[in-house]
Amino acid sequence: MALPRLWTPILMASAFGTFAILSPALCLAQNSEIEQLRSVVEGLQQQLQKTLQRIDQLEKEKTATSEKINQMEEEKTTTASRIGQVEKSVQAVQSAPSALNPAIGMVLDANVSQRSKAGGNFDFRSAEIGLAASVDPFARMYGFINGTSDGVEVDEAAAVTTSLPWNLTAKGGRFLADFGRFPKVHEHELPFVNQPLSIERMVGGETQADGAEVNYLFPTPFFLRATVGGYNKIGEENDQVDNNKSRSWSRFTYLGRLNTYFDLSDNHSIELGTSMAYTPSIRLAGNADGGDRILNGIDLTYRFQPLASTVYQGLTIGSEFFHNSQVFASDSSAKRQQAYGGYSYAELKLNKNWSTGFQVDYAPIVDTPAQRTMSYSPFITWNLSEFNRLRLQYSYLNNNFRGADKEENGNQVFLQWTTLIGAHTHGFLGR
Amino acid sequence: MKSLTKINKCQLLILVTALAWISSRSAFGQPIRVVATFPDLADITRQIGKNLVSVESLATGVEDPHGVPMKPSFVPRLNRANLLIVTGLDDEHSWLPALLEVASNPKILAGQPGYIDCSVGVPVLEAPTRIDRAEGDLHPKGNPHYLLDPLYGKIAAQNIATGLTRNFPQYEADFDKNLKAYLAELDSWIGRWEKVAAPLRGVKYVEYHPEWVYFANRFRLQRVGSIEIKPGIEPTPNHLVQLVQQIKQENAQVLIYGSQNPRIPQQLQGETGIKVLRLYTSAGARSETDTYIKWIDYTVHSLVQAVS
Repeated sequence: MALPRLWTPILMASAFGTFAILSPALCLAQNSEIEQLRSVVEGLQQQLQKTLQRIDQLEKEKTATSEKINQMEEEKTTTASRIGQVEKSVQAVQSAPSALNPAIGMVLDANVSQRSKAGGNFDFRSAEIGLAASVDPFARMYGFINGTSDGVEVDEAAAVTTSLPWNLTAKGGRFLADFGRFPKVHEHELPFVNQPLSIERMVGGETQADGAEVNYLFPTPFFLRATVGGYNKIGEENDQVDNNKSRSWSRFTYLGRLNTYFDLSDNHSIELGTSMAYTPSIRLAGNADGGDRILNGIDLTYRFQPLASTVYQGLTIGSEFFHNSQVFASDSSAKRQQAYGGYSYAELKLNKNWSTGFQVDYAPIVDTPAQRTMSYSPFITWNLSEFNRLRLQYSYLNNNFRGADKEENGNQVFLQWTTLIGAHTHGFLGR
Repeated sequence: MKSLTKINKCQLLILVTALAWISSRSAFGQPIRVVATFPDLADITRQIGKNLVSVESLATGVEDPHGVPMKPSFVPRLNRANLLIVTGLDDEHSWLPALLEVASNPKILAGQPGYIDCSVGVPVLEAPTRIDRAEGDLHPKGNPHYLLDPLYGKIAAQNIATGLTRNFPQYEADFDKNLKAYLAELDSWIGRWEKVAAPLRGVKYVEYHPEWVYFANRFRLQRVGSIEIKPGIEPTPNHLVQLVQQIKQENAQVLIYGSQNPRIPQQLQGETGIKVLRLYTSAGARSETDTYIKWIDYTVHSLVQAVS
């Protein structure tokens, strides 16, 4: 059926109109679909990105975990080797005869000397065996048994309290009495070869004493320590008093000492001590009435110890002065003699192994103080290790009187070799 | 004469008052008095004790740990201390026992509750299997420089907290809280150090004295040799010639020394071109290493910088 000719334009116009009216709506519908599609795609993209990130993360975690496993395995191996080491060490310790044995050490002090007046000598000075351990919770004990070319003797054997109240410490037995600085130091511990002659003549050698001592540490912010003691006598070679006889209270020797120390700065310090040993009555041959003996001492030590290089550098300057006041019998009468003496030394640390120094000593004879010996001794020390030391010393001894001991006169050269095995310490006082 | 007596009485009164004041001083001290042998232990103790403790260190950190001078001025500090904190493993053997002998303080003697040994529980390295001085200046209980491993710093912190609580149980909660906070802080630092120290893995090093084994184990460095022939024994010329060859052959990157003399490290640097670093084995040696954490941090960064 053909449409009438009139309707054709109408229909066309209507179709056009309808299209014109509907086309924006159609466009809108298409746009929203695209938007939807776009948002879907974007969502998918985001999901994809998240998934990729997750994959990355998982991969990283996997790597980290495998690294951790490797690390743990390495640690396991290391720990096993450590356990092995510890076990071996424990076995080594357990193989010691007994863990309760005291610490044992031995020091050999061998010397070769050449004296212009007396000649040469291989001088076996000492082989000292040291023992130390706790006795119980209240005390410790130490001993030094010394063998010399003259024989073997107990040099020291003393018990020391460890837990007394009120800052007190008590010591009893045979020990080096707390007089001065070097008089109470074993000869092999000195910075030079021989004990200064002033100590030998005025104190009587090392301050070996049978007796008892009490120390008191003052509760001050700085170091201040006092010692009081009572002894048969002080001085290993002091033959004015018989060590083995019983005696009245007036014939014991009583000691008092004060010791203090100050840090001038981190690297510089000064230490000062004053001591007095008093014997109310001494009975000497030819002077039955005796009289008292007063031995005074002052010691002063300056130390430069640069903290950053204590092992390599250092300077110590030390001096001690002694005064002995005592009645001695002369030809017709007894007379109180005042003797003054002492020594000074300086020691410079050159590096870890080497040090050098100089000592001057003024030693009067206590019963005839006008007679004296002056000595001058440069020395050089080579510490091969902490336990092995060589020392070369030259000494010139000058006496102002005739008939001096040949061993204490003229030019002298010493080579000292000191070696140590096992445990060894002379503690705080021997520093 | 009368005035003289009066002066004497005044002097006596002043003396007695002064002594009484000095004696009673300790009774007024509020915080727990702690003495630590080294600054790193002092710092860790401060972190755990906070304001309950007053801590001082005997050594300053620059000293050779085995050569700390036996100063009598340490004695009054030890005498007044409630607690003593030590590295242990005989690190302080050359100077501390003799000071304790005269300090008249039984509370802080070894074995007493006031003696806190931080090495308890540390897996010790280099414990000698043969105790003989032919092997040098040995530490019979093993290498004492364990604080260079921050994980063992945690063990030290735990030991300090345990020691503080053992002696002052009334503050247990405080010590516990502070310990946990400090351990957490240390853990976060350890995490950072492990990342920062990644370039140190496999780095070959030479040391002056055997001090760095714990650090090397933690951060995976490899030890090539040491300047000392044996612990504490200075080198012979022959040993140095061998060491130079070893440094060149093995391509060692860094030489570490601390309190030792710089002469030999510098000589080796001249001969081989190896980088030389002065790193101390305790906190406190430098102003920027005044705490344990800062010290380890400085050490790690210095080494990383040296090898990168």
